[in-house]
Amino acid sequence: MRLKVWGARGSIPAPGPEMNRYGGNTSCVEVTLSTGETLIIDAGTGIRTLGFALTPDNPRINILLTHLHLDHIQGLMFFPPCFRAESEIRIWGPTSPEASLEARIARYISAPLSPVEVRELPCDVSFLEAPASEWRIGGATIRAEAVTHRGPTLGFRITDADTTLCYISDHEPALGAPLDKLQPEWISGYDLARDADLLIHDCQYTDDEYPGHEGWGHSRVSDAVTFAKRVGAKRTLLFHHDPLHTDAFLDDLHAGARAKWAELGGDPSAIEIARERDELVIEGSGDSPNSMGSTANAGESGRAQARA
Amino acid sequence: MATPQKPLELILARNLLTSISTPAFLVSREGTMLFYNEAAGAMLGVPFEEMGQLDPEEWIGSFGPFDAEGNTIPLEELNLTQALRDGRPAHSTFRIRSSRGTEHEIAASGMPMISAEHGASGAIIFFWSLDEDQARDVATGRHEALG
Repeated sequence: MRLKVWGARGSIPAPGPEMNRYGGNTSCVEVTLSTGETLIIDAGTGIRTLGFALTPDNPRINILLTHLHLDHIQGLMFFPPCFRAESEIRIWGPTSPEASLEARIARYISAPLSPVEVRELPCDVSFLEAPASEWRIGGATIRAEAVTHRGPTLGFRITDADTTLCYISDHEPALGAPLDKLQPEWISGYDLARDADLLIHDCQYTDDEYPGHEGWGHSRVSDAVTFAKRVGAKRTLLFHHDPLHTDAFLDDLHAGARAKWAELGGDPSAIEIARERDELVIEGSGDSPNSMGSTANAGESGRAQARA
Repeated sequence: MATPQKPLELILARNLLTSISTPAFLVSREGTMLFYNEAAGAMLGVPFEEMGQLDPEEWIGSFGPFDAEGNTIPLEELNLTQALRDGRPAHSTFRIRSSRGTEHEIAASGMPMISAEHGASGAIIFFWSLDEDQARDVATGRHEALG
């Protein structure tokens, strides 16, 4: 399985010269399965540039939406395949007792916020509420579960042959809970992330910033790292960067996360941080569950391959 | 084999109960006592950490409910049970017995939790003592005096 980050920012796009290395686009990740098929997770502003990179010879596109906050759907209206008649786009997202997925997304892709309506898109687009049980897209098995965030929000577990990716971009598993002491069955997202070869996880705040943002649905560094430890993630990619965090700030945040991981007994190199346009190779390790840091070298080599 | 993860609404409910000093239980759709908070533990005379999850038979045997004569009330006969199974809020009064043998008359209000994903997954049951002194202690957070 391969992965490319097209947007790693949370909340709102954050362009600017001091954001160039990590990028300013909001959440979007492209996953390429071992069969060559592509999945897109979230449709923040990063999906616009991803859309330009997709070739028309593969018109079937699956987009998994964790939730409908603007930083996860804003790019949909500017996704070039939406404006190609030959495109077949399936958008998966969370259920809500309030309205259908299509009706909720149409609140954004409609007047006065948008010059076009969903029904006017020339592509063949369908909106599918993520089922409660696992389902398949191409060669992958997908599992979606609700996680702790504001409003109906999903995390995804994607298994392709012996490789597992878990994506929980917006998550506050330690809200009102001692994350390091809870039994696994009481930890939001635990089953989704358990023993993942790569965990992509919310890390919006530093520990110093968090007290002013408790309950906003996002994680501080120490909770993101503790969650990764509890679930036995082989590698962790810190994600959903705060729009105020500059490149230099994120360098320090990353160093702090690695130090925390080392305190917990892991290899610091297993903690990585998402940068726009980064590509990673995810390899199934087959290691024993809950081993920490045992695949750190694979993690480093994965990133090294991608950057070569 | 690991215990399956609880539905998110139960996880969030437990986190809420942990954060408040209103005595409260969290029960599953099947009637298993999944959790009770510190305030409830003070009234029951034993913290949840010592009891763990309890099947209906276990917690009836340990704590009740009982009627005024001290007879066990079958769960099926509590309007609270029926209402929660039907997905409706409900209120009941009955007696419970703490681990120290002290009986309390309590009032209990149950609120079912129904999610789009799991349907009816359980209920939060808030309760309070109708014994005047103990009710005052709960209201002021003086749980140590109970039991």
